[in-house]
Amino acid sequence: MAPEDELNPAFRPRWYGVLALYLAALSVGAGSAWLAVRSQLNSGGVSAGVWRTSTLAGSSDADLYTRAVIAVGALLALNRDETMYYVATTDSAGRALRSRCRYRISGPAPAARWWSVTAYAEDRFLFPNAERRYSLNGGSAPLDARGYFTFESGPTPPMGSPPTAPWLPTPGDRGLSFTLRLYNPAAGLVAAPASLAAPVIERLGGCE
Amino acid sequence: MNLLRYFRIRSPWYCRLEVLAAVALVTHLLVVWAIPYVIMAALSMSRPAEERGTGPLFPPMTDATQRRVVMPSPDLLYATCAFDVRQRPLRIQADPKLPGYWSIALYAANSDNFFVLNDRQAAGAPVDLVLVGPGTPATGALPAGAKVVTAPGGRGLLLMRVLVGDYAVEREAVEAARRTLRCTPLG
Repeated sequence: MAPEDELNPAFRPRWYGVLALYLAALSVGAGSAWLAVRSQLNSGGVSAGVWRTSTLAGSSDADLYTRAVIAVGALLALNRDETMYYVATTDSAGRALRSRCRYRISGPAPAARWWSVTAYAEDRFLFPNAERRYSLNGGSAPLDARGYFTFESGPTPPMGSPPTAPWLPTPGDRGLSFTLRLYNPAAGLVAAPASLAAPVIERLGGCE
Repeated sequence: MNLLRYFRIRSPWYCRLEVLAAVALVTHLLVVWAIPYVIMAALSMSRPAEERGTGPLFPPMTDATQRRVVMPSPDLLYATCAFDVRQRPLRIQADPKLPGYWSIALYAANSDNFFVLNDRQAAGAPVDLVLVGPGTPATGALPAGAKVVTAPGGRGLLLMRVLVGDYAVEREAVEAARRTLRCTPLG
């Protein structure tokens, strides 16, 4: 006699109970998959200061989870021989970035053919702003005599700055991240992503 | 049979819990595996109906209204072709005469970037590629001078990037450059 037949009929599961259990198992599996991917969006990879980069973005060598994380958070990324992407979600003091705060971003021009810093809201899309300015790059961010760039981000233009001063508008009170893109990065950086001379993100004063 | 005996000496509810855990685990792995495929398929199918099947798509310069792909680059002008080389190869041609950066990247259905060619690699020569899949039937002679690229699967997406400094100033040149892209099924 099979073990199932030994059960008291009163305790035998009805079909809809079994169906509910299997649906619950499917939900747990799907839900945990989505949570696992979401939880890794801003973690993993290699760090340079507060900037993180995935060495497997766009790569055929990416594992199951990395590929899913890249698809959700940075779809259509190029492999790192072509482009490297560094993302910062905190300032250099470790505080989470907020769009209502003012930041100064500075550092040496990265070792790449072309670079840019773009501000993204927490949904990973651009901040709508009247200036239609979403990024600063090697062409628009002036370098000082040392070869360093410096610019500010915030909900309003830097105090006392000329209208043409480089800054990134981040209106509202939202989550914020900066992405540093390096197109055709130097071979040394491709081989050792942690060797990036990481730009510093300094919060200026209190948040508005 | 040891496996049968293993199940018989356990209570049926215990066995059911094991099966439920296995279902949850398999579902978890399947969903993680499927996420890139689903997102890529949705992207390939999301082009405007009136432009489906008519070759490359030339979206406007990226700004805050762009909500199709996360983390869009506001410094690049894009052109895309969704490809399906299960039955016929695809000929990819472009001749962007620009002094700055441009690239043509190919993505598999699982979002892997399996090929990229940039302006330095092209060295001023026109791009002429023939994309085939692992099972694409032979269709005769290839165009002279074309380079064959093999995709890991039958479907995917081509993304052309053109670097733009100031779109208002460079518009004529960069628009002309990206519109040299042709995606033409062969055979």
